[in-house]
Amino acid sequence: MNARLLGTLGLAILPAIVPVSAGAEALRIALASEPTAADPHYHNVSPNNALGKYIFDALAATNADQKAVPGLASSWQAVDDTTWVFKLRSGVKFTNGDPFDVNDVIFTFCRVMNNPQSVAGSFTPYVTAFAKVETPDNLTLKITTKTPDPLIPEKLAEIAILSDSIVPHGEITFDLEKKCGVTGEWPTLAQLNSGEATIGTGPFKLVKYVKGAGVELVRNDGYWGEKPAWDKVSLLPVPNAGPRLAGLLAGDYDLIESPSARDANNLKKDPKFSITTKPSNRVIFLQFDIERDKSPFVETADGKNPFKDERVRRAVSLAIDRNVIVKRIMDDAAAPASQFVPETMFGAQPKPEPLVYDPKKAKELLAEAGYPNGFKLTLHATNDRYINDGQVAQAIAQFLNRVGIQTEVDAMTSSIFFSRRSKREFSLSQGGWGSSFGGASNFLTQFVATNNKNLGTGRSNYGGWSDPEFDAVISQANATIDEKKRSELLQQAARMALKSLPDIPIHFESTIWAFRKGLSYEGRMDQYTLAAAVKPAR
Amino acid sequence: MSRPERPVDPMFVPPLVKTPRRSFNLQRLKRRPSMRSAVIALAVVIAAGLLLPLLAPQDPYDLNSFSVMDNRLPPGERSMDGLTFWLGTDSQGRDMVSAILFGLRVSLLVGLTATAIALTIGVTVGLFAVNFGGKIDALLMRLVDFILGFPSILVALVLLAVMGRGVDKVVFAIVAVQWAIYARIMRAAALVERRKEYVEAAQNLGYSNGRIMFRHLLPNSIGAVLVVATIQVAHAITLEATLSFLGVGVPVTRPSLGLLVANGFEFLLSGEYWISVFPGLALVVLIFSLNLVGDRMRRAFEARRA
Repeated sequence: MNARLLGTLGLAILPAIVPVSAGAEALRIALASEPTAADPHYHNVSPNNALGKYIFDALAATNADQKAVPGLASSWQAVDDTTWVFKLRSGVKFTNGDPFDVNDVIFTFCRVMNNPQSVAGSFTPYVTAFAKVETPDNLTLKITTKTPDPLIPEKLAEIAILSDSIVPHGEITFDLEKKCGVTGEWPTLAQLNSGEATIGTGPFKLVKYVKGAGVELVRNDGYWGEKPAWDKVSLLPVPNAGPRLAGLLAGDYDLIESPSARDANNLKKDPKFSITTKPSNRVIFLQFDIERDKSPFVETADGKNPFKDERVRRAVSLAIDRNVIVKRIMDDAAAPASQFVPETMFGAQPKPEPLVYDPKKAKELLAEAGYPNGFKLTLHATNDRYINDGQVAQAIAQFLNRVGIQTEVDAMTSSIFFSRRSKREFSLSQGGWGSSFGGASNFLTQFVATNNKNLGTGRSNYGGWSDPEFDAVISQANATIDEKKRSELLQQAARMALKSLPDIPIHFESTIWAFRKGLSYEGRMDQYTLAAAVKPAR
Repeated sequence: MSRPERPVDPMFVPPLVKTPRRSFNLQRLKRRPSMRSAVIALAVVIAAGLLLPLLAPQDPYDLNSFSVMDNRLPPGERSMDGLTFWLGTDSQGRDMVSAILFGLRVSLLVGLTATAIALTIGVTVGLFAVNFGGKIDALLMRLVDFILGFPSILVALVLLAVMGRGVDKVVFAIVAVQWAIYARIMRAAALVERRKEYVEAAQNLGYSNGRIMFRHLLPNSIGAVLVVATIQVAHAITLEATLSFLGVGVPVTRPSLGLLVANGFEFLLSGEYWISVFPGLALVVLIFSLNLVGDRMRRAFEARRA
């Protein structure tokens, strides 16, 4: 083969093997945890929601500190306790040219309700809370809720708006019985993952989503807001922290999520890189299987489920030394948790009663509950979702072994973990939850309140815990508009939950980003890595 | 592939009258110095894996015997209760010496058991294929082709993803991908033997098929298979380590060498090399000596055939 032919071949192959050319306007981000779908209504989890914010907008947006700010709605107003009026932004177009109006919003609400593939109902409770949605004109939306809900703008910030042009439809109205006027098939997960129906108004357009291989996006030049600095963005899943850092050092990635805290300290000294650290809203917690009389991953002498007994749950909490986990496993990039949201959040207890480490007391409680010799247990956890999640689970297993609970750890990839957890296959699972809106009410409503499809509460209450008194307090809190009163009710609810302990908080994560010099990223409390907010430092 | 028609084959070459020797030339093997060191290394590793877990300073599978307070200590540091960690500790505070010894045992156990089972299945299938010929032979060999057509790591990954974790499941997955290799080699070797006169003589004497298969064909054609088996033990161990490294092999609380390497991987760049490097070295020594022995055996075997 002659040299010229080789050269031509090389030129032809080059773009294929280097998908993002090394220009200044391409951004390569290594993700610690990859989105499980490009469908923004598939599963309400951070990696998916973060990807949704690239491609789509919602009526409201949240800033880096989780305050609701105008998004596709330029303003809103609560007319009375149950009525909200949203003024939509005019002149916004979807990437296929379809102009944005109220029909897209209503279509999206209906699609959320008609998405059988979604995990754990995903966003349905936000929509079921609406009594009616009216459209005085093309750009005005009047939402009436069934009960007073102070969090409507924050909740609507979570629902990514799809274009109604992706399905055949007649006149669109918020009438769920009549399919809202949609005449064709509802868009499927596959259509949104392939990009066929992934039509949004966001700062980027989806080029390719391949599970396990990453996401490629290009700038949406017709974006209504401030245009991002990047022509192309690649989001590459690199679940292991070592290779993620190695890639940054080698120049394969421009920005990486959560380098290990120890590595971050070394990076600080390197003039070629910068880091950002931000406390997050995410709590790592344990969830007990309480409802069932026999639990699949517990082996006791009497064959019963020990977690039905409050003393056993208390003993598990007392057995865990949160300070050691924070210090030895998290390298101090975390804070021990004695409640489910950090103290700075709305409705949090300013000074919660600390959840202390007392293995002696734990053993006593176990003996009192009839398990002087403990029992056998498998703790299920993720190993690629939260910071050091697999390591934390093993450390917890160590602590539980010390008090006589013989614990094995089964740590698995998050997609398998989440689907098994939603099928309630576990006895004790280690999860994480970022309270992205609503302050203290978010976790308590999702995880502690009784599972009730009609009210949309307890959707993640996989342990089946149910306490009517708690439910009364939390539902009252969620319907109270007065902020002071709501905060008091939330604190009361949190105290009740921490007394019966259907879930045990372990620690709050801090999030670290590392990037090459020449970039800046201020970080977000919700842990999202958003390329639109990554700025070239000039 | 049908059975050769023995009496009227124009290409038939009369075999040597001498009956084939069954044993290797052990003298030949022993004379090679590199062989000696490989055998010694292998013996040391095997002895360490089998015996020393009894003497290991702690039981790395017992979560009560170590503490997260001692985690990631460099080699030579002491624990809070005075135990010296000669090779350091991992992220959970496990003594690396103990973890490596136990890990070696898991590797050997998986490698030897999987190979033994796969060998038995493969040899039986190979013999049956040769003995019955015709459709059964064709069917079995197409199945073998089918299995060998997939990369073994891929098949094992799929199997483990379905079955979950555990040493027994890893063994099953390895057997499932390796028996086919033995079946094919056994068939090839037995096919050659089958044309020889002593088999014909045995048939003329009216011996049963079973007797011919197991008393005549098996011992005379097993040599090639056994040579392959030594190398396959090393493959099985590598496969186990790879699967554990990828996180689908053994449970995290019972680490094998592959999982230890994986666990230490994320600390490599922070300068905490010992969590990955020492188990990796143990694995390298084990695989290298196994391969060396296997290779020498193959050469000795071929020399005999030539």
